[in-house]
Amino acid sequence: MQLSCFPSENLEMVKQMEGKKEVILKTPLSVEEIKFLRAGDKVHLNGVVYVARDLTHQRLIEDLEKGKELPFSFSGSVIYYAGPTPARRGEIIGSIGPTTSSRMDKYLEYFLQKGLRATIGKGERREEVKELLEKYGALYLLACGGAAAYLSTFVVEKEVLDYEDLGAQALLRLKVEQFPLLVAYDAQGGDIFKEGKIKYRNLALYNEY
Amino acid sequence: MKELEFQEIVQQVEKALEELNIISPQLLREKMLEALAAEENDLAREMLSQVMENYVVAEERHLPLCQDTGMVMAKVEKGEEIRIKGGSLRQALDEAIRRAYKNNYFRKSIMSDPFFGKNTGDNTPGVYFFELEEGDELRIDLLVKGGGCDNISSLGILEPGSKPEEVERFVLRELDTKGGQACPPLIVGVGIGGNAPYALYLASRALSRPLGQANPDPRYRELEEKWREDINRLGIGPQGVGGKTTCLEVRIETYPCHIASFPVGLVCSCHVFRQKTLKW
Repeated sequence: MQLSCFPSENLEMVKQMEGKKEVILKTPLSVEEIKFLRAGDKVHLNGVVYVARDLTHQRLIEDLEKGKELPFSFSGSVIYYAGPTPARRGEIIGSIGPTTSSRMDKYLEYFLQKGLRATIGKGERREEVKELLEKYGALYLLACGGAAAYLSTFVVEKEVLDYEDLGAQALLRLKVEQFPLLVAYDAQGGDIFKEGKIKYRNLALYNEY
Repeated sequence: MKELEFQEIVQQVEKALEELNIISPQLLREKMLEALAAEENDLAREMLSQVMENYVVAEERHLPLCQDTGMVMAKVEKGEEIRIKGGSLRQALDEAIRRAYKNNYFRKSIMSDPFFGKNTGDNTPGVYFFELEEGDELRIDLLVKGGGCDNISSLGILEPGSKPEEVERFVLRELDTKGGQACPPLIVGVGIGGNAPYALYLASRALSRPLGQANPDPRYRELEEKWREDINRLGIGPQGVGGKTTCLEVRIETYPCHIASFPVGLVCSCHVFRQKTLKW
């Protein structure tokens, strides 16, 4: 592979085999990088992710609608759907695995309009999500659910940005290094869950019920 | 009348809650290793490898396996001839949760009221099912699971006279649409009979047993095995990325049922199966 094939200096190719890529991706993300990746590609994410889940999204939208200024921009940003356990004294963070993404589907477009480029979570989402990702040029990345202690080892910095009163749902800014992810939905309609199921399903059973 | 100290229960339950949130049972690790060996999908292997790595990191760093340390469920079988000295069982369980979740930095996820509440701050109360038995023994089956897998719970009201195939179809249909969100490979609990709420209770109760205990009735054991194989044919795979292992165990519990109804409860645990049984 020639270096010129890569869309930007924020994306480094680790491996490419049978059409699947493994890349190191650095935030903030651009549309070109997003469009280069496909469902099923492996991503090691470096840089900043914002942690927000159910109530965090509600609060963010309420505050933004009221005209509140945020201490960061959503342009090129990544949101991680998660709610960590409390950190022990001297530790950066407790366990932090992904929560179910579909609960945040209803908030997605609001933040895509503000330049959000990727979300991290677990599980399938509503069909409309794929259309939104195509429309705005964004990715849905899958982190391994229930591997929360392991995933915490990729977090190198944590800062509470707001909503500390929400406890595990506070808005956090994390710096991550080599955070292991899979592209679940790409910006071209690709869907890892659908592709996986089609490939590994016993079709006779499918017809049976 | 046998007597048991309140503090003895608190201490044992606290210790059990600490351990089950941090250390995975050996049998679970073995099942996961088997699944990894059988898996052909590279992405599924990646997910299972991370699950195995997680066992190691959690234990070494004394971190909870999953950030969602759940709402604690306890199924309590209490003999009529055993008495708790110094407080009630409910108080003992709440106190154990309070201590375990504070001392070990587990997440506090319980709201004091669905509409008007705020976080209770100590992960209490748990959900308790008390069953009064003969004799002087006390048995507590603890089960911790996160919201993600609880959210795919389902109640099926089937026709009286339904056959096992029809119950299986209900289970497969439910898991096919929602299973990938619940962190597979799953442990699947199916409760059949009783009334509608009892069917869901039976399914949860089935999950509260330790791993590797098949139904004592060979007819149901056969169904458990067949349903597990068929769920795995759905192809959902670890974390839903496609693959051979979607379900590690199916557990069926049954109860007599009314001639006019046929309720089926479906309750699942994610792959981070957190269970302990305590006996006095």
